[in-house]
Amino acid sequence: MFRKISDALRSLFSKDEVERDMDAELRFHLEMEIEKNVARGMSHAAARREALRSFGGVEKFKEECRDVRSGGSIESLMQDTRYGARILLRNPGFTVVAVLTLALGIGANTAIFSVIYGVLMRPLPYKDGTQLVIVQQQAPLAGVLKLPFSVKEVLDYREQNQTLDAVVEHHTMSFTLLGGIEPQRVQTGVVSANFFDVLGVIPIVGRTFVPGDEEHGSDAVLVLSHKYWQQSHGGDPGIVGRVFQMNNRPHTVIGVLPPIPQYPVEEDVYMPTSQCPTRSSEQFMANRNARMMSVFGRLKRDVPVAQAQADLSTIAANLQKQYADSYPTNRGYGAVVSPLQEELTRRAKPTFLILLGTAGLVLLIACANVANLTLARLMRREREMAIRAALGAGRGRLIRQLLTESTLLSLGGGILGLLFAAGGLHLLVNFAARFTTRAGEIRIDGLVLLFTLLVSVVTGLVFGLVPVFSSDQNLTNALKEGGGRTSASASRQRVRNLLIVAQVAVSFMLLIGAGLMVRSLIKLQSVSPGFDPEKVLAIRVSPNWSKYNTPDKTLALFERLLDKVRSQPGVQSAGLASTYPLNQLGITNGPFNRGFQIEGRPIPEGELAPQADFRSASPGYFETIRLALVKGRTFEEADNEKSLNVAVINQSTARHRWSDEDPIGRRVSFDRGQTWVTIIGVVSDVKQYGLDRDPTDEIYIPLAQNGFANNLLVRTAADPMSITSLMREAIYAVDPETAIDRVQTLEQVRTDAVASPRLTAMLLALFAGLALVITAAGIAGVMALSVSQRRRELGIRLALGATPGRVLSMVMRQGMTFVLMGLSIGVAGALLLGRLMSSLLFAVEPTDPITFVAVSGVLMVVAAAACFVPARRVTSIDPMLALRSE
Amino acid sequence: MAKATDLLQGTLDMLVLKTLALGPMHGWGISQRIQQVSEEVLVINQGSLYPALYRLEQQGLIKAEWGSSENNRQAKYYELTRTGKKQLAEETENWERLSAAVDRILQTT
Repeated sequence: MFRKISDALRSLFSKDEVERDMDAELRFHLEMEIEKNVARGMSHAAARREALRSFGGVEKFKEECRDVRSGGSIESLMQDTRYGARILLRNPGFTVVAVLTLALGIGANTAIFSVIYGVLMRPLPYKDGTQLVIVQQQAPLAGVLKLPFSVKEVLDYREQNQTLDAVVEHHTMSFTLLGGIEPQRVQTGVVSANFFDVLGVIPIVGRTFVPGDEEHGSDAVLVLSHKYWQQSHGGDPGIVGRVFQMNNRPHTVIGVLPPIPQYPVEEDVYMPTSQCPTRSSEQFMANRNARMMSVFGRLKRDVPVAQAQADLSTIAANLQKQYADSYPTNRGYGAVVSPLQEELTRRAKPTFLILLGTAGLVLLIACANVANLTLARLMRREREMAIRAALGAGRGRLIRQLLTESTLLSLGGGILGLLFAAGGLHLLVNFAARFTTRAGEIRIDGLVLLFTLLVSVVTGLVFGLVPVFSSDQNLTNALKEGGGRTSASASRQRVRNLLIVAQVAVSFMLLIGAGLMVRSLIKLQSVSPGFDPEKVLAIRVSPNWSKYNTPDKTLALFERLLDKVRSQPGVQSAGLASTYPLNQLGITNGPFNRGFQIEGRPIPEGELAPQADFRSASPGYFETIRLALVKGRTFEEADNEKSLNVAVINQSTARHRWSDEDPIGRRVSFDRGQTWVTIIGVVSDVKQYGLDRDPTDEIYIPLAQNGFANNLLVRTAADPMSITSLMREAIYAVDPETAIDRVQTLEQVRTDAVASPRLTAMLLALFAGLALVITAAGIAGVMALSVSQRRRELGIRLALGATPGRVLSMVMRQGMTFVLMGLSIGVAGALLLGRLMSSLLFAVEPTDPITFVAVSGVLMVVAAAACFVPARRVTSIDPMLALRSE
Repeated sequence: MAKATDLLQGTLDMLVLKTLALGPMHGWGISQRIQQVSEEVLVINQGSLYPALYRLEQQGLIKAEWGSSENNRQAKYYELTRTGKKQLAEETENWERLSAAVDRILQTT
C-alpha cells in the first residue's frame, strides 16, 4: 500500500523522471528487438519498422503504462479533470443549465439540512447536553399534560431522587427595571443558585449565582444575558457592580452570560429564587398547590432516561399517597422525564422532516434532469468516445472520464447551491424560531459544508452513472455505428423516457403536498378570528408595581391611564385586558384555567370542578376589539369594587354549562361559595390561542373587581402604528416610571398567528414549483431529441400522406403517455405524503379531491406545453429533405 | 473489455512471474524467454508486457532496478519479491487445477 502511494506520488511530482524512465526502458527494448531482427538478416530500417510494428503503437502502450504506473488514479484524475473542465467550458449552454438545476436542488437541501442539524441534531451548547432532562408533572385524567411545580414539590423531587445529579427550577416573570435610560420591562428568569453550573454555563464577565444568593434575606443580585447586555447597555464592560432598582430594592449586577441560546426562555436578566417577590413569599413556599416552576435535571453518569423515569414515577406515587389532597386520584398524577433536546424540538420535527424529504425529492428530479441532459450529450459524443477508445483508453477510463465530468458539474452546483442556501437561511431561521428556541443555533458550519460536499459528490455519481449503465453496449462499438440510430441510443432513449416518468411522478407528489398546504392555509386565513383586528394597537404597560402595591392604587392608576389615552386625538376607544386574542405570550403560556362552582350545583367530593379560562377586562375592551355581544351587557364604569360582582362568559361556556338555559343572572363562585359573581352577558367565542384551535370556555371579570389587566388596546381612526409615540407620551405623562413594551397592531398579531403554516406552505410551494419547472425542462428536452432523431421516420410518414397535424398529435400522444404513467405512479406517492403531512393540515383531508384534480390539471397543462413546443417542429419537416438526408 | 483478455492478462502475469523465478531479467529478455520456452506459440505483445510488468511492480510482486545488460547497456532488471514467490506458487496451483479440469472436459466424448 505504502509503495503504491509513494509510487503514485512520485509519478505525480516527478512526472518527467517517470516518463524518462519509461522511455529509456522502451528504447532499450526496441534496440534489442532491432538487433535481433538485424541478426536475422533484415536491413536496419526494416528491422526498426518490424520492431515498432510488433510493439503495436508506442503511444497506446504509453497510455496504458501511465494508467498502471499512476495507480490509475491521481494523475489520470487530474488529466480527466482538466479535460472534463475543457469539455464543459466548450458547452456553456449545457453546463449552465446543469449547474443551475443542481444548484437549486443542492441549495434547497443544504438550507433545510442546516436548519435540521442546528435544531434537531446539534448537541445542546452545554456541558454534556445529552444528560440534561426536563421533568414534568402531569394530571392526564384532567387533561393536563404540563403541570408546573410548587416549591414543596421541587424540594421533594430534589431530595428523594436517586438518579439525578441535580434538580434546578426555573420560572420567568417580568419586572420593571429602573435606573437605565427609560423604565424597562425586563424578562427575568428566576432560577436555583446552581442553575448555570448544572447547564455548564461560564459567565464571560463576573460570576453567576452561588448558594448564598439563594438564602432568604441575602442581597439582591442579577446576572444579565449577553443579548440584553449588548442591546440595552451597549456591552458596557463596567456593568458588573452597577445597581438598578427592581421591585423597590437595589439589585447589583454580578455577571454576564456568554452569547448562547437560552433555555427554556430567552431572558433579559436572571435572579436567584430568593429575590422574586412571589417565589420567596412564605405563603407561596408553604403551599403545595401553588405551582409555577419548570424543573430541569442532569442525569447521573451512565444513567439511562428510562431508569430516571422509573425513579421519579416512584416518587410521584409516594407523594400521591402522602398528600392525597394535592393529588386527587381522579386526575391521575405522574412525573415524566424527557431529554431536554427532544422536548425543545418536538414541535419542529414533523415539519422539518417533511421539508427535508421534499427537498430531497427536488434534488432527485434535478439529478434525473441532468442525467437526461448527459444522456443526450452522450449520444452526440459517441464518436469522441469511440476515437478515445481507439487511441487506447480502456472502458474504465472512459467511464471515469464521464464521472469526473458529472462530479465537476455537481460540485459547481454545490458551490452555487451553497450561496443560494446562505441567502435563504435568514428566512429559514425566522421560520424555525416559531417552533423552537434553538433557531439561533442554525448556521452553515463545517458539518453543513461536509453535508453539501457529500450530497454534491453523490449527486454527481448518481446522474453520472445513469448514462453509463443505460447502455450495455461497449462504448468502442460506437465507431461502427451510424449517427444516433443505434441500439445503444435506443436503450438510452428508453432510460430517458423512464426518467421522465419518474420526474412526473415525483413532481406530482410535491405539487400535491404543496397544494394541500396552500389549501389548508387558505382555510386557516379565512377562519373568522371572532374579533376585528383592523386599526387596533396593543401596548403592554407595566407600572412600577412596588409603588402601586395595593389593588386600589393600581386601579386608580389604570383609570387615569385609560382617561388620558381616550382623550388623545385619533383614539376611538380603548380598554385594558389581561390578554388579547392570538397574543403570542398567551399562546405560549396557554389558558389560565380556574375551577368554579355554579350556584345550585354542588361539586361531589372527588369530582373536578368545572374549569374556565379566567380573564379580566376593563369597560371598553370588548368594544375596542369588536368582540360581539350575544346576550345581556358588557362591563361598565359602574361595575366597580363597591357594586355587585359580575362576570361575562363566552358562548362556549354558556353552551357547555347551561346548554339551553339562559345563563344571564346565574351566579358562579371562584372561592367555593364564599363570594358569588353574577353573569351579566354572553360574548361570542374568539380564536384565543390560534386560528386552528377550538375556542376554550372563558369567563371575564371586571378589572375593577379584583381583576388584573395590563394590556392596553386602542382603536384608532387612522393607521394605529402612527400614534405609538403619542401613546408613549400619554402613558409617561400619567407615570414616567411605567415600562412600555410589546407594541403591535392586532393585524400584525393575526398575521403572526399564521406565519408558520404560511412559511411551510411557501417553502413547499417553492420546492414544488422548482420541481415542476425542472420536470418541464426535462420533458421538453427529451421530446426535442426524440423528434430530431425521428426526422426520417416522420418525414416518411409525411411523404406517405399523413397530415402534419396527424403526425404532431401522434408525437404528442407518445410524449404524454409517459406523463400519464408518471402521474398514475405519482398518485400513490401523493397519498403517502398526504398521510405523513396530515398533522400539518387544517380542515383539509390528505386525499382532498379538489387539490388532486387541480394539481393533475396544472401538471398536465405544463407537461403538454413542454411536449408541444419541441413537437411543433414536426410540422416543419420537409419530407424530401428528411428522406435525402440519409 | 472482453473477459478473454482478463484471463489472458492473468495468465501473462503468471508467465512473467514464472520466468522471473529463474532469476532477474529485463523486459525484452522476459518476452524472448516466454517465446522460446513456449516454442513460439505464445508471442508476447510488448504493448501488454510492459503494463503487466508495471502492474506487478505496483502490486509488490516484483521489484525493478537499473543495471548493466550483457552487452553493457543500461537496462531495467526485474526480480521476484518474496510476495511474488508466494503468489506464483498459488497461481501455479490454480492454473494446474483449472487446466486439468479443462483437459478432463475436453477428453470426455
